[in-house]
Amino acid sequence: MEGGGILAGLATNPEAYLLFSLLLFSFGIIATLARKNAIGIFMGVELMLNAAALNFVTFQVLRRGVVANETWLHGHIFSLFVIILAAIEAAVALAIVLRTFGSRQSIDPDRATELRG
Amino acid sequence: MALVDLFVALCFLLGIGGAFFTAFHPNIMYAAISLIMTLVAIAGLYGALGADFLAAAQLIIYVGGILIVILFAVMMSHDIYKDRFMAGAKKYILPASASFVIFAGLAALVGKMDWAGNTVPDFEPTARAMGWALVGPYAVPFQYVVIVLLLGLVGAVVIARPSIKHEDDEGNQ
Repeated sequence: MEGGGILAGLATNPEAYLLFSLLLFSFGIIATLARKNAIGIFMGVELMLNAAALNFVTFQVLRRGVVANETWLHGHIFSLFVIILAAIEAAVALAIVLRTFGSRQSIDPDRATELRG
Repeated sequence: MALVDLFVALCFLLGIGGAFFTAFHPNIMYAAISLIMTLVAIAGLYGALGADFLAAAQLIIYVGGILIVILFAVMMSHDIYKDRFMAGAKKYILPASASFVIFAGLAALVGKMDWAGNTVPDFEPTARAMGWALVGPYAVPFQYVVIVLLLGLVGAVVIARPSIKHEDDEGNQ
């Protein structure tokens, strides 16, 4: 697998997958912290969840001789649970967004200050 | 092998570009479409890792479900087409530096790890094994997820319900 272009072995290199999901996680943090819009924040959270789920599968598949011995499906199952919980989160978050927009005509979280002490 | 490498590189580029525009594009409509790009790229990476069931689930649930709901919410809120969505580049300084610190620390951790003993994906169908796992060792977590899903959906309906005027109710503000 060594030699033969810079792309050789990329598909089986866990470092590449980890760095990719790390980049996704970083962009998700930026979107979550900097967006002035509830839907933008929510999309940042989705990015971070996806990065974590991809890491589960990466370790499961590419490191199963080291971290996961004979039980070779745990990472897949955890990623599936992450996807399901993200779906629930999407439903609840967007219900809150629609509700907030209906009562305030704005989805800027900085302007929802009723609960501020 | 070279074709898989090329495919994975393409997915990396697509995913990173989509994530970048998701975080930085001033128009939320384009940000949502970039998010679709990233999610499709991640589904491709699941495929390249041999996780066929997860690739299909990612496409169906994320791209077919969650993203449609996001786009629906984007279109419901006409106000958000305005440019003040981004609110100035100054607002990005602190989040970007915090995220860079996390990125640098974790990347150093990735570089320090001992990567001996890697395995290659075996491209075998996983759906059958995952189904047995969900009713076998993972039956209880699966039931938890089912209950959480039910409660979450009911709660979402309760929250998103239009505020009908109920004068004789005790729940009105």
